[in-house]
Amino acid sequence: MVSTLLVAAVVGIALGAFLQKGRFCFVNAFRDFFAYKDSRVTKGVLAATLLTMVFWGIAYQFGYYQGFWTPRWGLTGLVGGFIFGVGMTYAGGCASGTLYRAGEGYLQFWLTLLFMGVGYAGFTVAFPTLESTYFDALTFGEGVSLFAYSSLPAGLLALLVSGAALLVYATLTGRSSVGAALGERADAAEFRPAALAAPAVGLRQFADGTRAYFAGLARAWRNPIESSKQPWDPRTAALGITAAAVLWFTQVSIVGVTGPEARWTGYLLSQVGVDAGSFEYWGSVLFQGQGVGVTVDMVMIAFVIVGAFLAALWSGDFSVRVPKRRRLPNAVFGGLAMGAGSRLAPGCNIGNIYSGIAELSVHSFIAAVGIVAGVYVMTHWIYREVGCAI
Amino acid sequence: MPSIDDVTDAPDELSDDRADELLEEADLVQDMMGEVCPYPQVEAKKGLQQLESGDLLVQETDHVPCTENVPKAVGDDAEAKVWRSGDATYRIYLRKQ
Repeated sequence: MVSTLLVAAVVGIALGAFLQKGRFCFVNAFRDFFAYKDSRVTKGVLAATLLTMVFWGIAYQFGYYQGFWTPRWGLTGLVGGFIFGVGMTYAGGCASGTLYRAGEGYLQFWLTLLFMGVGYAGFTVAFPTLESTYFDALTFGEGVSLFAYSSLPAGLLALLVSGAALLVYATLTGRSSVGAALGERADAAEFRPAALAAPAVGLRQFADGTRAYFAGLARAWRNPIESSKQPWDPRTAALGITAAAVLWFTQVSIVGVTGPEARWTGYLLSQVGVDAGSFEYWGSVLFQGQGVGVTVDMVMIAFVIVGAFLAALWSGDFSVRVPKRRRLPNAVFGGLAMGAGSRLAPGCNIGNIYSGIAELSVHSFIAAVGIVAGVYVMTHWIYREVGCAI
Repeated sequence: MPSIDDVTDAPDELSDDRADELLEEADLVQDMMGEVCPYPQVEAKKGLQQLESGDLLVQETDHVPCTENVPKAVGDDAEAKVWRSGDATYRIYLRKQ
């Protein structure tokens, strides 16, 4: 037990520090891509997810893992994910972003956390009704990971999926630069061979970009202390998050945020006299009938806040930040939508986009579509006066 | 001096003196303390819409990601510089093109 708590502390602090230093924000990753085609953080999120997929696939193939999280799949992922995506964009931070910004000293995100808790509690009260009217109606099949379903070795499957994703990415970036080089006068006959060359051009750009990144990393190592205080490339955060997630996967489980937070809500309410265990959702679902107490994943996500606090303090970025009054609705309604949406899906951006896609869970692909659709709609609403690029 | 900023694509930094000088000639100062993304981005774009070419917009913020995201969001509409106080407050200087 002591060693598991130590793993929880190490993984939580590492995740918090890398999230904070890399400004690894899922809202930013999708919102800024939709709003003005800024894809730096999007690339970091994709890199972290694909790298984790490869390492988790290999760990699963050789039996070094503790378990998958594969909820039953259906339209719940789409509906709940959409509500969660709208909520996280309005709140200005996803489930992981809210945690590390709470650690950086944003009182607004402590308020968001509080209202996420209200969302979890409200969901728990409504759960018996929702189970028959919502979950049963919208769920179509048993949850499954393609790692377990496919006859291919999991490591190979993960490499194939990542390779395919890289090829799509290379084709898209290659095509846009080939198109730009040809200019607008290029007619269709000229463009066809160029379009075939796009994946090769894109892969070369990817190789050059990766080489430039590692050269920059090597330069940064010459002044390790000074560099460590600077903000980091999201790809650096992706590497660190992957390492922490692999450790967690082999020792405990997949990385999740809102599940443990919903447990925290039940636990804290039980501390002030609420019989949380008597509610079906807390008692038999989240705590699985083992009594309302502190579980190791709850400890881990608490340490994410600690890790972000330490990283922010080290960089000179920590301060207690008081929100403007006009931002309080963002924390209240964004938090409520994130709390309720993550339960209705179930799962947040970390459980579904990061961990869920990395473990090739069918439910998470649907939920990820719902979350990104929610970000898209909310980004257009927030940017309604100045316009979105996509 | 080599820095990880080479790969993070941050705008140029201003010295303390230059930052104070420029603040006095600013045409519009936006108080973004306590605000998080994307509102500073939206306000910067709105602010620049009101200004003339060559005018200076300054945002005061305590949200680190804004120092990169706001310059990115305004793109070619403005030339961006950043001042870091060293104690978690920042100013973003946007000169409308």
